[in-house]
Amino acid sequence: MRKYIILGIVALIMSSCAETITRGTQYPKMYEEKPLSIVVMPPINQTNSVEAKDYFYTTLYAPLCEKGYYVFSPMMTMEMFQSESAYDSEMFIEGNLAQFRNILGADAALFTIIKSWKRNNVGGVLTAGVEYILRSTKTGETLYQREGLIKVDTSVRSGGGGLLGALVDLAATAVSTAATDKVVAGRKCTLFVLSDMPEGRYSPKFDQDQKLPAGKKFIKATVK
Amino acid sequence: MIAFASCGTEKSLYSWYDSQDATYIYTKKGTDELLTKAMAQYEKVINKQKGVRKTVPPGVNAEYGYLLVKAGKKEEGLALLKAEIKAYPESETFISRIIKQLEK
Repeated sequence: MRKYIILGIVALIMSSCAETITRGTQYPKMYEEKPLSIVVMPPINQTNSVEAKDYFYTTLYAPLCEKGYYVFSPMMTMEMFQSESAYDSEMFIEGNLAQFRNILGADAALFTIIKSWKRNNVGGVLTAGVEYILRSTKTGETLYQREGLIKVDTSVRSGGGGLLGALVDLAATAVSTAATDKVVAGRKCTLFVLSDMPEGRYSPKFDQDQKLPAGKKFIKATVK
Repeated sequence: MIAFASCGTEKSLYSWYDSQDATYIYTKKGTDELLTKAMAQYEKVINKQKGVRKTVPPGVNAEYGYLLVKAGKKEEGLALLKAEIKAYPESETFISRIIKQLEK
């Protein structure tokens, strides 16, 4: 969890504090609709890296929960998307989202478009270019939209459960270090870009953050 | 820290431990050993919440319950799925659909 806090600090210093636009001005529809539950759509992958979609899909859930939203388990919705042949979000991004309201009870759907995904094996740096779009299942309108081109240093592994957690987890990560590195990097990218998203119902700051600064619509940054 | 605080930094809402990575690795490789590891992480997330909300994060009761049912522990698993609905009523439409499928 420490990594979330550190990232939050970095994100705030680099994006929010320097800006003057408020969240209320930048994302008015978030405050009008106040979505509570969010379904994470399978990412739309515009890169040549086939793995990116799969890696990135799982990175969206925890950061959105930390924002105070109810997020449907991606592990469980993934099975539903696959069995309903809905694993390609391309057909929904401009379309009617009412079915996600009816089948899941979701207030909003988070779409992501992966525009670049490059890993420099020498430096352990992953560069991810991703656009995040949150659309209402009620009105179909875009509630939140932001794009980031984020470089993540994957050689720094911050360990979610502290030292003990990291030790316990060593065996697990050794199985597939490269894979988890990318998942961790993807999560950092998401945390960073979504840092200015208005808080959801489960956050103590819910509906009290209109005056907080919003970041730029497009953000380029390096995250450790 | 004062400067950070004024910019709105706050404690995390939930403790996740290594549940996210453990689940990811399990869903990729699917071995029993990794399932055991993932389940240990779920137990920790459910029983040791140190975040601001002191509540199990969205989806965790449901995911763990779902895995338990698939691993043959039907009763225990279904109880957790119902706990998800109790903690997060907005999950009812989806979770009760899953419960129906699993009860078949």
